[in-house]
Amino acid sequence: MSAYTLQKAIRNINRRPEARADFESAPESFAARYELSQEEKAALLARDYGALYRLGVHGLLLRPFSLLSAVPEADYLAAIRKDA
Amino acid sequence: MSIGFACAVSHAPGIVAWRDAAPVEQRDRLYAGFEALRSRMEAARLDEIVLFTCEHWTNFFLDHISPFCIGRADKYMGPVEPWLKIAKTEIAGDPELATAMLEHCYAHDLEPGFAFEMELDHGTIIPLHFLTPEFGLPIVPVVFNTLAAPQPSVRRAFAFGRALGEVVRRSPRRIGLIATGGMSHDPGERNHGAIDEALDREFLAAMSAGDVERITRWTTREFAAAGAGTIELLSWVALAGALGRFRGEVVAYEPVKPWATGMGLMWLEEHGA
Repeated sequence: MSAYTLQKAIRNINRRPEARADFESAPESFAARYELSQEEKAALLARDYGALYRLGVHGLLLRPFSLLSAVPEADYLAAIRKDA
Repeated sequence: MSIGFACAVSHAPGIVAWRDAAPVEQRDRLYAGFEALRSRMEAARLDEIVLFTCEHWTNFFLDHISPFCIGRADKYMGPVEPWLKIAKTEIAGDPELATAMLEHCYAHDLEPGFAFEMELDHGTIIPLHFLTPEFGLPIVPVVFNTLAAPQPSVRRAFAFGRALGEVVRRSPRRIGLIATGGMSHDPGERNHGAIDEALDREFLAAMSAGDVERITRWTTREFAAAGAGTIELLSWVALAGALGRFRGEVVAYEPVKPWATGMGLMWLEEHGA
């Protein structure tokens, strides 16, 4: 499975309240703690679900991540079904 | 002693967290099916439950994946999901039975992983919520890696289940087996909402008939083609392995689009039980 570090960052946000709080209050410094490519960092900070999906984030990490921002299911699916 | 009770159930979170999204007749048939299983389980007067289950990045991440992981904790908390609409609860474990299961496996050249601590997510909590609403029986959760390739093969899941069945049968306690996961679904992926009813029904038919040859002929690749979540049927395969010679009854099957899952409920029993 690819995108290990990107998925690790998202999994921490989903699973650990302190990580989620850090990401929401100071996203740039949160992202800086992970070795992410420019593209991965940009997609994470923008919460670009389509880009994150194309970068290889597992659906059971990505959908819960989108739920933190109360993204409706239809919008989430539209985002991941779009090609770049 | 025979296995005290056996069933296999889906655990799509929608069944509790967005229950009203489903067509009322489908929802009612599934709830009635769970109630029928709960009632049979209660009549079985079990001492404890072994669950063949999976999880959803709750405890285990890619930093370390075991194909099979047996819970050795003396208690478990769950659900971890605040949105599940089931209150967080503590459930007793059985470290002694877990150790017996591990020792038997290792003596028979099967090496599952183990964990002395685990939280439970909807995958394990939903079956227990419906089948033992008081959460009063101790459990041993056996977690299958269904998330990260390569997952264990169907053959290995069956062999692992068979080994665990041997331990359960040897115990003087009345132990129930619950397999949970599946059936066809592709949660959070592009084919989210797609349900492979043909595969689900063929799998249910094979389980009903105790057709071990057909069950073990499936591959995780075939399951994955029906949706990533379909690989959770490995827990049903393991249950077939544990039961050995068995038959089953489909208590309910509903392809529920708003819950994005083919929802299956089966009751199973060993031959000559």
